[in-house]
Amino acid sequence: MVQFLVKRLIGLIFVLIGVTFITFMMGYWSPITPVQILMGNHFDPQLYNQLMHQYGLDLPWYQQYYNFLVNLIHLNFGQSYQHRGESVWSIIAQGVPITLELGFWGLILQFVIGVPLGILSALKANTWIDTANMGTLLFLYAIPVFVLAVFVRVVIVWLDLNAGANWPPTGWGTPWAYDWTDLQYKIAPILVFAIGGAAYIARMARTSFLEVFRQDYIRTARAKGLIERIVIYRHAFRNALIPLVTIFGLSIGFLVTGSFFIENIFNIPGIANTTIVSVTGQDFPVIQGTTVILAVFVVLGNLISDILYTIIDPRIKY
Amino acid sequence: MDTTNRNQDLTTPGVMVPGNSTHPDPSQIGSTPPTPGSDNVSAGTTQKSLTPFQESMKRLRRDKRAMVSAFLLLFFVLIAIVGPPIYMHIGGTVTTPEGIKMSPAIYHSPFRNNLDYEDLAPNGMFWLGTDAVGHDLLARLMQSLLISLIAAVLVEIIDISFGITVGVLAGFYGGWIDQILARFTDIMFAFPSFLFLMLLAAIFGPWADTHLNNIPILGQNGNARLLLISLAVALTSWPAMARYVRGQTLQIKESQYIEAARTSGTNDFKILTRHIVPNLFSIVIVASTLNISNTIINEAGISMLGLGVKAPGSSLGLMISDSLGSIETPHSWEVLLPCIVLAIIVLAFSFLGDGLRDAFDPRSKD
Repeated sequence: MVQFLVKRLIGLIFVLIGVTFITFMMGYWSPITPVQILMGNHFDPQLYNQLMHQYGLDLPWYQQYYNFLVNLIHLNFGQSYQHRGESVWSIIAQGVPITLELGFWGLILQFVIGVPLGILSALKANTWIDTANMGTLLFLYAIPVFVLAVFVRVVIVWLDLNAGANWPPTGWGTPWAYDWTDLQYKIAPILVFAIGGAAYIARMARTSFLEVFRQDYIRTARAKGLIERIVIYRHAFRNALIPLVTIFGLSIGFLVTGSFFIENIFNIPGIANTTIVSVTGQDFPVIQGTTVILAVFVVLGNLISDILYTIIDPRIKY
Repeated sequence: MDTTNRNQDLTTPGVMVPGNSTHPDPSQIGSTPPTPGSDNVSAGTTQKSLTPFQESMKRLRRDKRAMVSAFLLLFFVLIAIVGPPIYMHIGGTVTTPEGIKMSPAIYHSPFRNNLDYEDLAPNGMFWLGTDAVGHDLLARLMQSLLISLIAAVLVEIIDISFGITVGVLAGFYGGWIDQILARFTDIMFAFPSFLFLMLLAAIFGPWADTHLNNIPILGQNGNARLLLISLAVALTSWPAMARYVRGQTLQIKESQYIEAARTSGTNDFKILTRHIVPNLFSIVIVASTLNISNTIINEAGISMLGLGVKAPGSSLGLMISDSLGSIETPHSWEVLLPCIVLAIIVLAFSFLGDGLRDAFDPRSKD
């Protein structure tokens, strides 16, 4: 087990290095240098060379990459080009708690909604309940998240106008605070985050449960006269959860990318919005910082799903 | 057969839903005759036997959901291609309040802001109304559909040609090609693909803006980045296609007719092009149909974030982001229109893809 984890960690470090390298090279090969963007229309060759030197952009690529990595280990992502004088770390640090909050509740809600619906469908397999349930979920899974977000915003505005709901259509409120005013901001985006994933999880749960119900030990459990509730929750539930655990780990990895459009449509000042703003403004240090953070999420997610896997299923040995 | 039936009776005691036994267990499809497909095959053999492809198409034609989706998509494609030239000539010459005369070719242009006609509901002059800056929504919608169509076609061309070439070689020869493909797909799967698209669009976007804007249709009117984005989407999607193809190739490689071809002295190239690639048809068509909706979502998403098609161009995503402000006004129709159209297209593609999969590989159901 320990050996396996060490092996995985080494592998994951390589993935991280690969991702940082790709990110770095993209910035390095970009046809426009960041200094050109900084100077805009006031181009001055002498100042240009001076600034290139100051930012270390005139060094050969391997030295630049080395500097980048050394800074990264010290959690120093450098200075933002767009907001002069502000460090990338401080810019990212503003958004991370908000995105984490959105993703955390979204992820939990995904499973809270998805798993019971999946079980329901599996228990009533091939009845109208199953068909209606799965049909709705397929619908919700297929439509793009930004379309869903727009629909939800339209509904909120309609409720505000016609039912006097008085809900704020955009924004986020205080991170990790749950007064009613904060909840009014948070409920809609979190629901939108959860719905698409919940549909996917429900489908997986259904397939997984149907598979488990075909197993011999379920038949044995029923044959010895156990009541159905115990058969389902003691015997089937744990085994059917195994594939879902992998999804849980992988969802952690895609937690930030999942919130890209939600943050955009609902104007939430999270890390995804920071990424979008820095990408449009060609603010490379911030782009590199956010990309590395996203990669860390993905890698951690993979690792967590591996660990959970070994805990939940003793048959799996490495 | 017998055992599976008994199995099912055992697994459906009181708690299970009554009437369950009337529905065959999905796992039995393929082994039992009552499926409609196999019924027809035996009926068909009396006259003329159908090729597997014809059989699949027959199954597909019986799938109502997939057929409705296919017709809807065909309708959208037709609108995108023949819609604008027709719409351009509909309607009479109009005199604006400033006294300028406009022919329908002008006010029905997707690129024009008709500033005297803002926020109009659907009417005789503008069939789907206008948005906050006087764009004709129908004209813009048709242009957007064309953009989605172009992106889908470009991506699929690259996706299919790359995916088949690499997948077949990796599956057939294994070795280092297989290794490289495996490593490459691992990295692509670990890296969030939408972030990759954003980075590519952001870094090479300004270059594309100045260098690709002279290409007819693809580059003009703010579409300069369309080619770039299509390339980027294809880059993120072909490894998945290559994996499917590789898996299928591994299976075909072991079949007897390949062995027979080899024994009779057919060379590798001929085996690949005559025997393996044609047999990939069904898997490729299913995978690419399902991939198209992904492509359309990605293109719309990138354009929505302002990194793709730019004004005065038009894309479903750009239409959404342009009209986001209308949500709080009584004209929320302006943002709902592209959203609804996008949702319909995406759903239609996934229904059609599911239908195709069931038609070409009935055992894969459930």
